[in-house]
Amino acid sequence: MCLDDQILNTYVDGELEEPWKSQVEEHLSYCTSCRNRCNSLRELSRRIQDAQLSSEEIDTRKERVLALIEKNHLNKKKSSFMSRKIKFSMPQIFGVAAAFVIVFAGSWTLMGRSSSNVIPVPEIGYSIDVSNITPVRASDNAGASKSLETYTLDEILKNLDARGYDVDIRLKSIQPVNFDEVSEEKVVLAYADGTSITSDGVARDAQGNILATGLSVEGNTVLTSDGSVVFSELEVLAN
Amino acid sequence: MEIRSGDENTFRRVYDDTFPVLMKVAYHITYNTDVAEDICQDAFIRFYDKNMTFPSEDEARFWLIRVTKNLAINNIKKKAREAASLEKMKRAPQAGNPFSDGASELLLHESRQAVRKAVAELPEIFRTVIVLREYGGLDYKQIAKVLNISESNVKVRVHRARKELEVVLSREDVDVS
Repeated sequence: MCLDDQILNTYVDGELEEPWKSQVEEHLSYCTSCRNRCNSLRELSRRIQDAQLSSEEIDTRKERVLALIEKNHLNKKKSSFMSRKIKFSMPQIFGVAAAFVIVFAGSWTLMGRSSSNVIPVPEIGYSIDVSNITPVRASDNAGASKSLETYTLDEILKNLDARGYDVDIRLKSIQPVNFDEVSEEKVVLAYADGTSITSDGVARDAQGNILATGLSVEGNTVLTSDGSVVFSELEVLAN
Repeated sequence: MEIRSGDENTFRRVYDDTFPVLMKVAYHITYNTDVAEDICQDAFIRFYDKNMTFPSEDEARFWLIRVTKNLAINNIKKKAREAASLEKMKRAPQAGNPFSDGASELLLHESRQAVRKAVAELPEIFRTVIVLREYGGLDYKQIAKVLNISESNVKVRVHRARKELEVVLSREDVDVS
């Protein structure tokens, strides 16, 4: 009995398992018609595969798509400052809140006083005409008008874009700030092994782990709240 | 080893390994290189932005292939609704340069065209299987995973797809000669 196409296709794809594989091979060894059929199925598969997309075509597109994803997704995620977690201590929050209250109250008082004044409204004196517009260089009236620094990056970009410039901006060598490691307290005593004691009386090791709290520093001696001396055996690096 | 698709290094590694397969799958379903490129981009962006966890890199690849296949199928369905698919497909950009040299190159080009046309005419269930097998280089087990069907079902579909292609291509060959 001869082999059907489905078995031969499975065999051609290398997907036929034992013992059927050996049986098929044995059959093919003496059955010319099945062998021919097997060869023509192989040939068909090869012909289909020949129609595939060229690797050059794939490679150029591979690079292009990656560049796009890098630009719009990979780098974005990395440098997004706003999405970073920023930790504030309670005194910092109160400080900022207090500043807001002061500024708000101050401006409100001023605005209240000047409420009778007419608020100046910018007006356009000329009808806009191409002949009224003269191109100027920044150096022509340097000092008289706004300098470059007074514009935001967004304004500069919009301006350049409006003039038809193709601008590409990249951020280079920007190191993300690790807020966990930044301490607002001043280091009052530092040891050679990396241990430091800050003005709030907290001792941290080189990795920033808190070793002890409630310490007080007298000269090069560190005392705990109960008056016992600690860290005296370490070499003092800075005071 | 578990991987996260939103991790940049993982993403780059998977991208490097999987882009050619995705491009082939998308192309041989849509037969339009620009559309295929957009689909690949779309699939990789989804992959990165969703930041999913996969038990292995292979599973991540299967996910990407599945999404690409679906996007490509959706695309041709939309095209079919716009009732211009066949004409556009015939004029689709060619892989390689058909005019590079000699008669053999021209014959190869014609053969490619005939195969692509025949693949494009296959019903969806056969088409995806044959594209994943012949162009994606996936084995039956992997195809079964991507399509969520049994291996024996893959076996049957590969056989039916080849049978149909054989019929169409032999008819084409008669027309040409």
